[in-house]
Amino acid sequence: MKRTAYSLLLLAGLGLAAASAAPGGGSWEATYHERQTWWSLQPVRSLAPRAVKNPGWCRTEVDRFILAGLEQAALPPAPEAGARTLARRLSFALTGLPPRPEEVEAFVHASSLSHYPTFPPAPAQAGEPVGKRESELAFERLVDSLLASPHFGERWARHWMDVVHYTDTHGYEWDAPAKHAWRYRDYLVRAFNADVPFKQLILEQLAGDLLPSRADTHTGLNESLLGPMALRLGERRHGDNAAAEGVTQEAIANIIDTVGKGFLGTTVACAQCHDHKLDAISQRDYYALAGIFMSTRWGARSADAVDPNEAVLAELRRHKQALRTALAKLWLNSREPLLAKLTALPADEKPTPAFPDSLASLWRQTQLRSTNALALATAWPKLREEFQREREKRATANQTNLTLVADFTRADAPGGWRWDGLGMKHGFVRDGELVVADEGEAALTQVLPAGRWSHAWSQRLAGAVRSPLFPPETAMTFSAGYAAGRHAARAFIVDQAFHSERLAFLNQPQPAWLTLTAGNFDKLAGGNDTSRARRVYLELATKSLNNYFPPRTGYGGLKESDVADARSWFGLTRVYQHAAGKAPQDELVRFATLFANEPVPESKEQLAARFADALLAAVTRWAGDRCDSEDVRLLNEALAAKWLPNEATNAALAPLVAAYRAAEKRLQPDRTIGSADDWNEARDERLSVRGAYTEFAAVVPRGNIRLLGGPGTRAVADSSDRLELARSIASDTNPLTARVFVNRVWLHLFGEGLVRTPDDFGHLGEKPVHPELLDYLAARFVAEGWSLKKLVRLMVTSATWRQASTTSAAALTQDAENRLWHHFPQQRLDAESIRDALLAVSGRLDPVIGGEPIDPHRTAQDAAKRLFSGPLDGLGRRSLYLKMTLMEPPKFLALFNQPIPKLTTGKRDVTNVPDQALALLNDPFVLAMAKHWGDRVLKDGATTPEVRAKAMFASALGRPPRGEELSRLVKLADRSAELHGLAPGALMACAPVWHDVAHALFNVKEFIYVH
Amino acid sequence: MGIGWLAFAGLANRLAGVEARRPLSHFAPRAKHVIFLFMDGGVSHVDTFDPKPELTKRNGQPAQWRADELSQSVSANRKWLKNQWEFKQHGQSGLWVSDLLPHIAGVADELCVVRSMVGETPLHGAQSLLLHTGRSIGAAPSLGSWVSYGLGTENEQLPSYMLLNNDWVPNGGSQNFASSFLPATHQATPVRAKGRPVDNITPADPAALQRAKLDFLREQDSDTAKLLGGSDAIESAIKNYETAARMQSLVPSLCDVTGESAETLRLYGVDRANDFDKFYALQCLRARRMVEAGVRFIEITCPNTHGNNSPWDQHGDLRRRHEENARITDQPVAALITDLKARGLLDETLVLWAGEMGRTPHSAGTDGRDHHVSGYTIFMAGGGVRGGMTYGTTDEMGMSAVEHRVDIHDLHATILHQLGMDHERLTFRFGGRDQRLTDVHGRVISEILG
Repeated sequence: MKRTAYSLLLLAGLGLAAASAAPGGGSWEATYHERQTWWSLQPVRSLAPRAVKNPGWCRTEVDRFILAGLEQAALPPAPEAGARTLARRLSFALTGLPPRPEEVEAFVHASSLSHYPTFPPAPAQAGEPVGKRESELAFERLVDSLLASPHFGERWARHWMDVVHYTDTHGYEWDAPAKHAWRYRDYLVRAFNADVPFKQLILEQLAGDLLPSRADTHTGLNESLLGPMALRLGERRHGDNAAAEGVTQEAIANIIDTVGKGFLGTTVACAQCHDHKLDAISQRDYYALAGIFMSTRWGARSADAVDPNEAVLAELRRHKQALRTALAKLWLNSREPLLAKLTALPADEKPTPAFPDSLASLWRQTQLRSTNALALATAWPKLREEFQREREKRATANQTNLTLVADFTRADAPGGWRWDGLGMKHGFVRDGELVVADEGEAALTQVLPAGRWSHAWSQRLAGAVRSPLFPPETAMTFSAGYAAGRHAARAFIVDQAFHSERLAFLNQPQPAWLTLTAGNFDKLAGGNDTSRARRVYLELATKSLNNYFPPRTGYGGLKESDVADARSWFGLTRVYQHAAGKAPQDELVRFATLFANEPVPESKEQLAARFADALLAAVTRWAGDRCDSEDVRLLNEALAAKWLPNEATNAALAPLVAAYRAAEKRLQPDRTIGSADDWNEARDERLSVRGAYTEFAAVVPRGNIRLLGGPGTRAVADSSDRLELARSIASDTNPLTARVFVNRVWLHLFGEGLVRTPDDFGHLGEKPVHPELLDYLAARFVAEGWSLKKLVRLMVTSATWRQASTTSAAALTQDAENRLWHHFPQQRLDAESIRDALLAVSGRLDPVIGGEPIDPHRTAQDAAKRLFSGPLDGLGRRSLYLKMTLMEPPKFLALFNQPIPKLTTGKRDVTNVPDQALALLNDPFVLAMAKHWGDRVLKDGATTPEVRAKAMFASALGRPPRGEELSRLVKLADRSAELHGLAPGALMACAPVWHDVAHALFNVKEFIYVH
Repeated sequence: MGIGWLAFAGLANRLAGVEARRPLSHFAPRAKHVIFLFMDGGVSHVDTFDPKPELTKRNGQPAQWRADELSQSVSANRKWLKNQWEFKQHGQSGLWVSDLLPHIAGVADELCVVRSMVGETPLHGAQSLLLHTGRSIGAAPSLGSWVSYGLGTENEQLPSYMLLNNDWVPNGGSQNFASSFLPATHQATPVRAKGRPVDNITPADPAALQRAKLDFLREQDSDTAKLLGGSDAIESAIKNYETAARMQSLVPSLCDVTGESAETLRLYGVDRANDFDKFYALQCLRARRMVEAGVRFIEITCPNTHGNNSPWDQHGDLRRRHEENARITDQPVAALITDLKARGLLDETLVLWAGEMGRTPHSAGTDGRDHHVSGYTIFMAGGGVRGGMTYGTTDEMGMSAVEHRVDIHDLHATILHQLGMDHERLTFRFGGRDQRLTDVHGRVISEILG
C-alpha cells in the first residue's frame, strides 16, 4: 500500500496520539461528543473585561484583560516605550517599512507636548475613560496615517500569503506557473487597504466563483473571482490520477490542510487515513470535504467584471464595416482576373479518391476528365451525377450518424458547454464575419462561419470552451467544428487535474472537424487505481485561459518565443456526437450552383465563367450579409488561393486596415487567473482505506465537517457544497474562524499569539493563557464587521502593545516566556522587511503597488525550468513582488526565514546563523544598496562628517545616535578614508567612504530588529 | 535592568537550535560522515551492477511479463533490451560490474551493492524527494539535515551539511536539501563547482576595511546589548559575525585543492580537460577534504550535460549519454573511495551511490530505457558496511526485486544506524507530533553490516 504524503507528514503521530487519546476505546460517537467539549469549539463568549486595581494604566479594553492577569501574578507591566521606539515599531508592524526620520521627529515633537512619555500616568477614577491628551492624539494620528498608507495592504497581504503559502509557480519537476497568481496577491493588497470585511475575503477565497461579481472600482476586476487562487497555491504535480496515482488527491489534501489550518486552526488533513487521533474530526469529515473540492473545476478564468474594451470595439466595428464595403466593391469587380486565374489552373494527373472538396480541386479534376470541349460536355453530366449521388449519400450518413450536442451558432449555446473570455464574449458571429490580419501583407486572415470565435476582433482576446463532464464508463466520440492557431490547445481534464498533460496544441487555420474520444481514462496504466467513474471534461483554450500554459518547456514542441507572444485563437461552430469512425462528412452543398442548370459547359471558358460566377454569387450574398457557411468556405478558398484582392497595401484597403490595426493594439487583453468553477455536477468521494490512493471503501456524502454542522441541505442538488462550506466558515457564530484570525493578527503585532500554535487550536495545540481576551477580541472583531483595520487599531493603541521591551527581573523569573505580556517582546524583522528596509533606507525603494512578479536575482539560471535571473535590486520593488518560484525561492529572503511555500505557516522560524552575517557583509545586493545610499548622501549638503553620519544613523535606526555612537561612526568613516588612501579633508566628497558607512549601518544588529 | 532582550535571546536560541549540542548517539557509531553521490535521473541497473543473461537472451523479443504486484505494467509495443555493456567479475569478491564503470569496478571489494531497491512512483520529482526526505511530496527535512541535527557539528566554523552541486537543480527542487521544520542551521550549504564556491563567502572588502567594520559593529552591538540589559541574542550575533569572518577564509581554503599533490589530482581526474569531468572530480576531492575538516554530510550532484530532464534520464540516446555520465563520474567516485581508504577515513565515512530510480529492462526502441522503481540498484562503501557483497535480487529480467526488498526508509534507517542513531528515536517535535525521517517505516538492513 502506498501512503499519501500528507498522511505521512501530518498524520501518524500515532505513538504520541494513541497514548493521550482514545477515550476508553469507545465508539467514535462517544469520542466525538467528548472531544466536542474542547475549548476552541465552544461558542465565543461575549465578556466584559475584568476589574483591575489600576485602571489608569489601561488605554483600551484589551489592557484590562492583560492587567488583570499581571495583577493576579503581582507583576507590573513594563513602562511605556519611548516615542522613537514606538514610531519605528509601529511603522514596521503596520507597513513593513521603516519610518522616515522626519516622520519620527514630527511624532516625537507632537508627543512631547504633554510630558511624553509619562509613566505611570496620572491616576484616573476607576471605570472612567482616560482623557485623551495631546500625546495620545499624536499616537492615534500616527496609527491612522499608517493604517491609511497603501503599504498597509502590502504588509498584511504578505502575512496572509504565509497562511495560503503563496507561490508564483508550482515546483515539483518543472516549476509550472501558478496561473497569474500575482493578480491574487494584488487582490489581497487592495482588499486589506480597502478594509474589505475579512468575512467577505473568506467567502471569496473559498467560493468567490460562486458569488456575485465584486467589481473593483479602479481596476474593473471581479475581485470575487480572484479569491479562489488561495486554494490552488503550493506544490502541484502535472498529470492526472489516471496517469499517476494520487495526483489530484495530493492537491486536495493540501487544500484541505490549508483550509483547515488557515481558516479554522484545525488539522482536518490529519484525518485522511483514519479518524483524527485527538480532535473531533473523523475520516468521513475528510472525505466529505474531499467531495467538495473534487467536485470543483480548477480552470483559468477571465476576471474582467467591467468590459474594458467597449469603446475600442465600437471603433473596430466601424473600421470593419468600412472594410467590408471596400472589399465587396473590389471583389465584385474582379471577375476578369478571377477568370484568368481559374483558367490557368492545370489538370490533375490522377483522379482524387474522394469527390473534390474545393473549387480548385474540382476544376483540376474536371480538366483531367476532359481534354477538349466535347469531352467536357460528356464529362460534366457524369460529374454532376457523381456529385448528386455523393451529396445525397453524405447527407443521409450525417443525418443517420450525427447527434448535435452543442451548438455555438446559437447565442445560448445549448448543450451545456460553456465559454469564457472576452474574445468569446464578443466572438459570437454570423456567417461571413471578417478576421482582419493584425500584421503582415494580407488584409484579412479569413472569413468566419457562424459560431463563437475568440479572434473575431483580436487574437489578444482570450477564449475558452469547456464541456460538461462526460458520462462515466463510456467512451463518447464526438466532432467539433473548429479552427485554431497560435498554440490554442485542447485538453481532457481527468479527475480535476490542475495541469493536464492530455494537452495538444491546435494548428488548424481553416474550419475543420476535431474528432475526439472522451474515454479510456478509467484505468491507470500500470497502477492499481481502477476507478470506473473518473470525472472527465474537455477544455479548449487560448494561451491565457489555459491553466497549463506555458507547460513544461518543450512540451508539444512549444518554443519559448511562442510563450512570450500573447496571441492565440480558436473558435467552434457545432459539436456532434457519433459512433467511432462516423465523423461528419462534407455535404458539398457549396457546389450545388455549379451543377445546377443547363446548359452543360462546353468549353474551358464556359466552365471558368461558371466557376467564377458561383464564387461571385457567394461574394454577392456575403456583401448583402446573407451568406451561409458554404459561401464562407468558398470565400476562404478564394482568399487562400489569392483569387480575390486581399492586400493590405491595396489603396482602397490600406487606410482602413491601418486604422483597424492601430485600434486593435489598444484592446486590453483579458486579465485571467487560475480560479475555480462549480458546474453543479458534483459527486461524492469514496473513503480511502488508510489514505491509500487505490483502495476504496464506502462513498461519503460531500459537505461540511460535522463540527461545523455536517453536510446540510443544498440550494442546488448537484452543487459541490463549496459555497455552503464557505458560509459556515465565514459565519459570525463559527467558534473557530474569528478566534483563529484575531490570534494571527495578535501574533503579527506582538510576535507571539495568544494561542502560540496559530494553525492548531486543537488538542495538539497550546491553550491560550488569556481565553477571555481571545473571546473578547473575536466577538468585537465580528461585531465591528470583521474589520482588520479596526482590530489592528485596537491592539496597537493598547497600553500592552506600547510597553517597552525590557522588563523586571521578577517578571522574567516568574514568567520567562512572557505569557502574561509584561513587556513587548523584541522581534527580528522578517525577511521581507529586512530587504525592504535596505531598499527604503538607501533610497532605492520603488513604492509602486502591484504588478507582475520580478524574477529574483540568481547566480545560475535554469532555462528548462524557467528559473531566470532578475535584476540584483529587483528594480527596487518590495519583496512581496519578487517571484516566488517554488523550485528555488528568492535566496536572500529564504536566508532570513521566509518559509518554503508548500504548507501553511502561521508562525515563521527566526534563526540566527552565520550565513545571515555573511549575506549582510558580502551579498552583492546589500553592497549595491550601500553604494546607492552612499552615493546619494554625497549630495545632502552636509559640511561635516558628523552631520552626515548623524542623519544616516537616524535613517537606518529611527533614532539619533546616543553617547559615543556618533563618534564611533565618524571614526569608522575616518578609518575608511585612511584605508582608501584619502588625504585628510577629502572625505566628504569620497563616495567609497560613505558606501562603507552605509554598509556598516546595515550590519548593525539594531537595523534588523524592532524593540 | 532590562531583561526583555535576554528573554528574547533565549527564545531565539531555542528556535534556532544553535546551541552546541552533544550528538544524539543511541549507540556506538560506526561512521561519522556520509558522502552521498546522487546519480540524478536514474542509472540503468541492468547496465551497471545487475547482469541479466536471460534479458540478453531475449533481446528484441516482445516484453511480456507477468503483471505481478511489484512490476510496472509493460505495454504492447515494448521489447526486451539486453545488457548494453559487458559484465565481468572483479576483485577478490568477484563482484559483477559492467564495463560502463571500469574505475568503480576497480574498487569492487569495497562495495556493498544492493540490487533490490524499491521506490514508490516512477517519477523523478517524487522519487528524488523520497530518496532525500523520506516523503515523495510535501515539505520534510532532508536526510542530510537529519544527520546534521542528530550528530551536531564536529567543526563549529563550518556548516555540517554541504551540497557540492554542479549548477543544476535536481527534480523536487531545493526541498531536497532543505531543513524544513528542523532548525535552519541544518540545511545544506551549496558549494558551487565553478567560480566562487559559496554565496557571499568572498569578502566584499579588503581585510583591513572589513576588520574596521567588524570592530565598529562589535562595539556598537555590545553597547546595544548592554543598553538592553545584556543579551544572548546580541552576543550570539556578534559570534556569528566572527564565525562568518573566519568562514570567509576557511571555506575557500577547504575548496581550494591547489595544495593537493599532482598524484591526487590525477587520481580524481581534476586534471581532465573537459569541464564536466574536471569539476565533478573537483567536487569529489573537496568532499574528502570536508570529511577531514569534520563536515557531517556531503552530497555531490551530477552535472546535466544536455537538455534532458535530468543527467542519467536516458529515454533515448542511452549508450552515448550513459557513457558520458560514466566518463564524468566513474573515475572520481572510485578515486574518492580509494583515497578515503588510503587515508584511513573510509571506515568512518559511509559512501552512498544512488539514483532515485533504475531504468526499465525493456524499451520502445533500441537505445533508451524508461523510469523504473520496482527493483533497482544502489551501492554503499565504507562506514562499517561490508564490502565486496551484493544484497537482494531482482527477477531474471531485472523487473522486480524478489528477494530482500529494500525501500528508501530501510536505507535511511541503516544510514542513521551506522551513525549511531536509532531511526525510531531520532525525532523532532513539529505539527504536534514527534517527526521522524522514516515516519512509521524503516528497518535496519543488518545483513549488510560488518
